[in-house]
Amino acid sequence: MGQLVKWIDARFPFTKFIKHELTDYPTPRNLSYWWNFGFLAGFVLMLQIISGLFLAMHYKADVALAFDSIEHIMREVNYGWLIRYLHSTGASAFFAVIYIHMARTLYYGSYRAPRELMWWTGQGLLLLLMATAFMGYLLPWGQMSYWGAQVITSLFGATPFIGEQVVIWLRGDFTVGDATLTRFFVLHYLFPFLIVGAVIIHLVALHFVKSSNPSGINLADKDNIPFHPYFTIKDLYGLGIFLIIFCYFVFFQPGTFIEAANNIPANPMQTPEHIVPEWYFLPFYAILRSIPDLLGGVVGMLLSVLIFAAMPYLDRSGIPGGARNRPWYRVMFYVFVIDVLVLGYVGAQASSDLMLNIGRVATLIYFLTFCLLPFISRKEEQWLRKQGLPVEIEELLRYESQQQQKKDDV
Amino acid sequence: MNRHNFRIILHCCLLLIVFTAAVKSEAAGIEFDRSTYSLKRGAVTFQNLCMLCHEMKYLRYQNLLELGFSQKQLETFRKGKNIQETMQSSIAPEVAKLLFGIQPPDLSLMAKARKNGPSYIYNLLTGYHETAGGVIRNQILPDTSMPDVLAYSIETDVQAREQLEKTAREVAVFMEWAADPKADQRRRMGYWVIAYLVFLTFLLYLIKRRVWRRLR
Repeated sequence: MGQLVKWIDARFPFTKFIKHELTDYPTPRNLSYWWNFGFLAGFVLMLQIISGLFLAMHYKADVALAFDSIEHIMREVNYGWLIRYLHSTGASAFFAVIYIHMARTLYYGSYRAPRELMWWTGQGLLLLLMATAFMGYLLPWGQMSYWGAQVITSLFGATPFIGEQVVIWLRGDFTVGDATLTRFFVLHYLFPFLIVGAVIIHLVALHFVKSSNPSGINLADKDNIPFHPYFTIKDLYGLGIFLIIFCYFVFFQPGTFIEAANNIPANPMQTPEHIVPEWYFLPFYAILRSIPDLLGGVVGMLLSVLIFAAMPYLDRSGIPGGARNRPWYRVMFYVFVIDVLVLGYVGAQASSDLMLNIGRVATLIYFLTFCLLPFISRKEEQWLRKQGLPVEIEELLRYESQQQQKKDDV
Repeated sequence: MNRHNFRIILHCCLLLIVFTAAVKSEAAGIEFDRSTYSLKRGAVTFQNLCMLCHEMKYLRYQNLLELGFSQKQLETFRKGKNIQETMQSSIAPEVAKLLFGIQPPDLSLMAKARKNGPSYIYNLLTGYHETAGGVIRNQILPDTSMPDVLAYSIETDVQAREQLEKTAREVAVFMEWAADPKADQRRRMGYWVIAYLVFLTFLLYLIKRRVWRRLR
């Protein structure tokens, strides 16, 4: 064995890689459990790829066969029901984990320099994930699959001048049909590998700038501990907790994330009473609906996702430690989280005047949070400094500049 | 146990409670007897009444063996058809279409295709009533072309009505089973999986504590 590793090491930096990226990789010792979610996202990605691979062995991407092939998997393939429920529950788990991962980044200000590229590759990953989930949702070819895809693809009709052509180009037909199903299947199979590629970039960036940490400053070497064994075991323990919750849904409530109407085969002649997207799209869907103009709505929806990318520039405060040390920002953070939950609720309801108004107010608050952030963050820092920073923060700042000094001297 | 672990576990418990409560409240209302006996009786009623017009194209006759029917009992069901065949209606779909105007829908997934499927089915089957004009209508689906197969609307005897309601519940429970025949296997496996994971996570927690103690 040792001989083999030596042989490989002479030709490929195997041991060096493991040492550098895992066993000796320096990680801040003060990371809380909120820092587990990146690892969990990676785990769910692998779970989705593997379960998806086995589903693809039995699935038929054909409008006449797709729905039947899902039932074939559920009833006649050995443990097909398990593979399918792992995959369908996994999609929801993926978004849940990613949203918590993002919320942590926002709360602790981890998007700030020098981690902007991590934030932006993460943003790209979110978009890829959304596209993949959306295309995957068409594949069971149920009523909700069909009409969801019909509604979302028709949104591209809002493109100025060439809207109609774009919609036809996307669908490969005048309406969602066999061509759409086949291409969505192909792309749904391809995208996860693009995601893996983007994750690698995300990780390379991470291992270059190193993990952020709750204190918000760059720690000295003595405050870092090797990733293995400390964080391998911490991540595994977190994974155990995650799997308990995940498996509870897979084995006992697998229908939670599948709309009842999706157990009816797609019928282009019959629109369901109430078309709702999957829960993870609801806040954005609510924003789309609350803007009266279609083009405006689509732009608003796109903007609501893309605006996160601007965070490193919108947040102009120099106080480390994110919301923990910034009372105003903390309030904004919680208002924003509650606002997103309200939007999610509104997105799930049938449209009524009351819901529309709540949705509009929530949409306004959503964008106002981002628009006001540059001013509030600047004012907040001035206010904090005028008040005199708490001793801990002063200490953190002094500590960081000392470290910087040392590094510069070297 | 430090504060963080405690918090995480607390949150998980809360989540589980909320979700089970949500699921429970949804299913509240009608008490269903899900025993094998009830399921089997539901299957027989389904075979004799519903399958005159409806089919279950995702269920095969041999699947009924899982409910505890014997090979011999199945023979009376399948009337010479192969045991591996799917469950077809007695009358041809075209004939049904002529009679009712539409083709009666496939019922394999009906219990999953409606919110609170079993309750919906029960309410539909016992939803027939005679209007003032002497027409029999259904209060759940007023426009349905399905006749009152249980003859519930014209039954006046209280005991007989209760019996019909019981039959409707049995049919609903059978259809729930047919929509997801692997549900039992899934739950049985689930208990082992969760038990295993809880044990594993507990061990991981101990190791984690032990490894991190080196830092103090």
